[in-house]
Amino acid sequence: MINVSGLTKRYGDRTAVDDLTFSLAAGRVTGFVGPNGAGKSTTMRMMVGLTPADAGEVRYDGVRYTDLKHPARMVGAVLDARCMHPGRTARNHLRAMAAMSGIPAGRVEQVLADVGLETAVDQRAGGFSLGMRQRLALAGALLGDPQVLLLDEPSNGLDPDGIRWLRNHLSAFAEGGGTVFVSSHLIGELSLFADDLVVVGAGKLLAAETVQAITARQAVTVVVETPQPAELVRVLTAQEVAVETTGDRLVIRGTTKAAVSQVAFEHGIRLVELSETAQSLEDSLLDMTGSSAEFTSA
Amino acid sequence: MTTTTPTLTTPTTNPWAANNRRALRTRSDDVRAVPAALKSEWIKLASLRANKVILALTPVIGALIAWALASSATDKKLTASELFIFPLPLVAMLATITGILMFTSEAQHGTLAAALTARPTRWVIVTAKAAIATTVGLVLGATAMVAGFGGAVLGGADVGTSSAIASRAAWALLYIGLAAVIGLGVGMIARHSAGAISGLLMWSFVIESLFAPALPNGVVHFLPFSAGYRLLDAGPSFKPPVTIAHELARPEYALIFGGYALISLAIGTLLLYRRDTN
Repeated sequence: MINVSGLTKRYGDRTAVDDLTFSLAAGRVTGFVGPNGAGKSTTMRMMVGLTPADAGEVRYDGVRYTDLKHPARMVGAVLDARCMHPGRTARNHLRAMAAMSGIPAGRVEQVLADVGLETAVDQRAGGFSLGMRQRLALAGALLGDPQVLLLDEPSNGLDPDGIRWLRNHLSAFAEGGGTVFVSSHLIGELSLFADDLVVVGAGKLLAAETVQAITARQAVTVVVETPQPAELVRVLTAQEVAVETTGDRLVIRGTTKAAVSQVAFEHGIRLVELSETAQSLEDSLLDMTGSSAEFTSA
Repeated sequence: MTTTTPTLTTPTTNPWAANNRRALRTRSDDVRAVPAALKSEWIKLASLRANKVILALTPVIGALIAWALASSATDKKLTASELFIFPLPLVAMLATITGILMFTSEAQHGTLAAALTARPTRWVIVTAKAAIATTVGLVLGATAMVAGFGGAVLGGADVGTSSAIASRAAWALLYIGLAAVIGLGVGMIARHSAGAISGLLMWSFVIESLFAPALPNGVVHFLPFSAGYRLLDAGPSFKPPVTIAHELARPEYALIFGGYALISLAIGTLLLYRRDTN
C-alpha cells in the first residue's frame, strides 16, 4: 500500500501540487490523469524524492522513500523516457544503474529480454526510436524487481503494438501482486486497463476512486427535442433532474430515456426526438477537469 | 532494429529483491553504498567514447607541447625534467572540462534522476563523482607528464636531474586532481555543459589573465587559477600568466586552490539537495 498524504509543492506564488492525499493499492493499476500543468509529473517526482516536497509525505508500506535501504527493490520509476545518454549502449546504461543499486549484473540481460530489447543490447541509445527508449527506460525500472512501478506517460512514442504490449504487461504486473501507478494523456487507453483513477486539476485532487465509480457518476445523457421545451424543463427541474438547453435540444443528465419518456407522456408533452448516450470515461474526466485546465484550445 | 514481445517479470520472483524490500536505511548503509556508487560512476565514465578520446589525446598533447618547446627553445638549459610540467595547464583544463561533463551531461540527459532515484542520499553520489573526477585528473596528469618527458627528450632536451622530478610530479598531480574537482563543482552549480565550460574558459583566460594584473597582489593570491598555477614547479623559465611581486609559499597556494575545490563542491552539493531534478 502506498499512502500519499498532504503532498504540497509551491514554486513562488504558484502551488503546483496542493495538499494531495490518496492511496494506491497493491495488485491494481491506478491511472493518474489531469490536464497539462495539473501537477502529475511534480507529484511523481516527489514520490521518489527527486523534488523536495514543501509539505506532506509518501509512504511505501509505511516507509518513506528516502528511508528505504534498497529503493530500487521497492519502486521502479520511469519519469522521463529520454533519461539515457545517447552515447551509451543499452547494456552499459543498465549496468551503471544496476551497480548504483547493488543489483547483480546478470539482471541486466534478464530485463532487456523482458522488454524485448535483447537484440539491441550493444546499440547506443542515441540510435533508438522513442518506443525503444521507452522500453529501455522500463527495463531500468524493472532492474530491482520492484513491488511498485511509477510510470509517467509510458506509452508516449509506442506504436499500437507496443501500447498493447505495455497494457498487457502492466496488467500482468499488477495481477502478480504489484502496484502500478501510471500517468497518461490517453484516457481511452487508460480506461482499458486501469482499475482505479486519481484525477487532479490545478494541483488539487478531484477524484480518487475506481474507474467504474467515475464513469457511473455521469454515465447517461438523454437528449430530447420537443416543441414544448419550457414545460419539459419545468417538470424535470421540479423532480431535481439536471437539464441543459443546447440549441433546440435539451440535454438531461442523471436519469434515463425511459424515465424522461414517462414524464413527458404524463404531462402531455410531445417529443420529436428522444435518445440516450452513455458518457465515456474520457468525457467524464474532461467534465471533471475542464475548469482546472491550465492550457486549453480555442 | 527489432523488438520482441516477451513477458515482464512480476514482483517477488528474485530472492535478492524480495528480501529486505522494506528494510530501513541507516547511516552505515550509506557509507557501504559508496563503493557501489563508485562502480556505477566508473561504468558511466568508461562507457562514453568522448572520455576515451580525451584520454587518448592527453599523451599526444603532452608529448607535442614538450617536444615543440624542447626543439624550439632558445634557453638550452631547459631539461626534460622541467619541460614535462609545461603541458599541465592545458591538460588541467581538459581535466576540469571532464569534471564539468561528469555532472552536466547527466543532468542534461536525465540520468542524474535515475541515479538519485536509485540512491536518494545525495552525498554518496557526490563522493563517488568527486573520487572519480580526482582519479581522472590524476590519470590525465600522469599520462601527460610521462608523454611530456618523452616528447622533451625526443625534442633534444637533456634528461636533467632526477632529484626534483618526484616533487614536481606530486605538486602537478595535486593541481590537476583539484582542477578536476573544481570542474565537477562548477558543473554541479551550473548544470549546463555549454554554460559551465564557457564560463570557466572565460574566467580563466579572460578575467584572470587580462584583468588580474590590474588588481592588488593581496587579491591576486586568491584568484583560483593564479593560485593553482603556482602549484606547478618547473624552474625559472616557467612563467605564470599573472606576476605577483611577493608570492606565497606553494603549500599556501595549495590551500587556496583546494579551498576553491571544496567550496565549489560544497555549493554544488547543497544545490543538489535543494533543487528539483528532472
